[in-house]
Amino acid sequence: MNHLSIFVQYVGQYIKTRLTYRSDMVVEIMSDLLFQAVNLIFILVVFGHTNLLSGWSKDEIIFIYGFFLVPFALFSTFFNIWDFNERYIVKGELDRILTRPIHSLFQVILERMELESMFGVVTGLAVMFYAGSNLGLTISWYDPLLFILFVLGGALVYAGIFISLATISFWSDSRTDIMPMMYNIGNFGRYPVDIYNQIIRYVLTWILPFAFVGVYPAAFFLDKTEWYGYAYLTPVMGIFFFSLSIFLWNIGVTKYRGAGS
Amino acid sequence: MNSMIHVEDLTKEFKSYSSRSGLKGAFRDLLTRNYKIHRAVDSISLDVKPGEMIGYIGENGAGKSTTIKMLTGILTPTSGDVLINGMNPHKEREKFVKTIGVVFGQRSQLWWDIAVQESFRLLKKVYNVSDEDYNSHMAMVIEALDIAPLLDKPVRKLSLGQRMRCELAAALIHNPPLLFLDEPTIGLDVLVKLKIREFLKELNKQYNTTVMLTTHDLSDIEALCERVVMLDEGKIIYDGSLSQLKTSWGEGKQIQFHFKTPKTRDELIRSTGQQLVVWEPGENENTWTANVTNDEDIISQVIGEVVANHQILDLKILETSTEEIIRNIYEEGIIHG
Repeated sequence: MNHLSIFVQYVGQYIKTRLTYRSDMVVEIMSDLLFQAVNLIFILVVFGHTNLLSGWSKDEIIFIYGFFLVPFALFSTFFNIWDFNERYIVKGELDRILTRPIHSLFQVILERMELESMFGVVTGLAVMFYAGSNLGLTISWYDPLLFILFVLGGALVYAGIFISLATISFWSDSRTDIMPMMYNIGNFGRYPVDIYNQIIRYVLTWILPFAFVGVYPAAFFLDKTEWYGYAYLTPVMGIFFFSLSIFLWNIGVTKYRGAGS
Repeated sequence: MNSMIHVEDLTKEFKSYSSRSGLKGAFRDLLTRNYKIHRAVDSISLDVKPGEMIGYIGENGAGKSTTIKMLTGILTPTSGDVLINGMNPHKEREKFVKTIGVVFGQRSQLWWDIAVQESFRLLKKVYNVSDEDYNSHMAMVIEALDIAPLLDKPVRKLSLGQRMRCELAAALIHNPPLLFLDEPTIGLDVLVKLKIREFLKELNKQYNTTVMLTTHDLSDIEALCERVVMLDEGKIIYDGSLSQLKTSWGEGKQIQFHFKTPKTRDELIRSTGQQLVVWEPGENENTWTANVTNDEDIISQVIGEVVANHQILDLKILETSTEEIIRNIYEEGIIHG
């Protein structure tokens, strides 16, 4: 339980520093909200031209988007490792991390967390309830439990992919633009995969399984029985991809070359 | 065998590719790359006993930092064995680092935005130090380093000297038996340097802490370390006591005389003889320097003879400084004696 108490200490410090820079926090939450609003407007514009997308209605797609926001919020709260290469490898900050008696990845997560992003959970839930009530969805007793399970699975899928990408830096410290590109690909998971062609669908399911962060689990709550199998796979994919990324990370750390002399 | 640090045939190679020149070269680089293997540390062996303070010196790029990084578990060696405190640093990293303290002069351990004591608290948690241990041990550290007034200030508001003292304290929160210092006094003023040296001596005396220190400031090493390990191009070229280094390399002493009247070499040789002394003219005819071997009897004999025969205004005895010795070693590149 030592990890948990360290986590609590870090959160305490984080809040303390954030309270001294209150305006930053407000700006950050506002820009997140704006970003989410733009995405929502995009969906509305598309549906201004059509009523159905491959058999999905506007409210269903909005619901998927709302669901997606929740695991994505968890991911962006704890796995801010898009600048890992520059911050830890090029500047050599990993030296410091490696002289401390906690798993290196856990320390990076603790240092880079951004609790403001948790606000996305609130917007996500609000969007889901709005779309859900339009669709007349009902909530069963097991829905909240599965929701939590699917959200965790989705966040782990995201984390697994981005941690694996970050480990590339251990082998080559040259700058790549792969991280922002991956953020864009991640957005594909917000739309029903059957609107894409076969190859993209395959990639989003098995190679870069972003579909497990949005459509597949959300389809479960939309009562799309044909997708149930994929929905149940969400936690499995999450655990698999996350474990794989930890494995790669642990190998990568032994290849770390340090910065400077 | 009871050693704190045991290193055998430790080697670290870095693979880097050299790019060809010009645009044509750049295209060729895309296809085939010229890899160069650079040995930063070349099969070094070293044993350090508990409680020793050793100075690790060498020019920039000699492999000092790479060695320290391997010993602290940051880098994985290409080959060779490291056993510190009975542990293998990169195999049992998390358990191992609980037994060492590390200060990198050019990198901060502390959190930039929060007060020093908050940083200490986080580290206390990270190292899982009990309240009793923390209080009894850190009271001494805070007192000795005189950082009590700094504890509630955020790190970014501290001066370099203040920060460095706090860094040192932060590295000692878990009272490690082994402390690595990589250029801890870089850029500090004399007073802070003295304070840090005093503190390290005190720490070594009280807890028998083993200290391994790299520095470019040889006065640090003179003040602290009995033993020096000198590194050149990844190889150890000297491992022994500092005083031995000085006697075998320090090329005697110089006695500088300032006479009342102008002197010639012949006059001086007549009074001292030629076996013991080599006379060198100084900046004017009144000043001469006598080069003698580093032996008390000879020095006093020479001084006695000169003073008996000539009137002098001033006299100075100069010792070859450690810095000069080291420069000589690097320039000549061989070890004698």
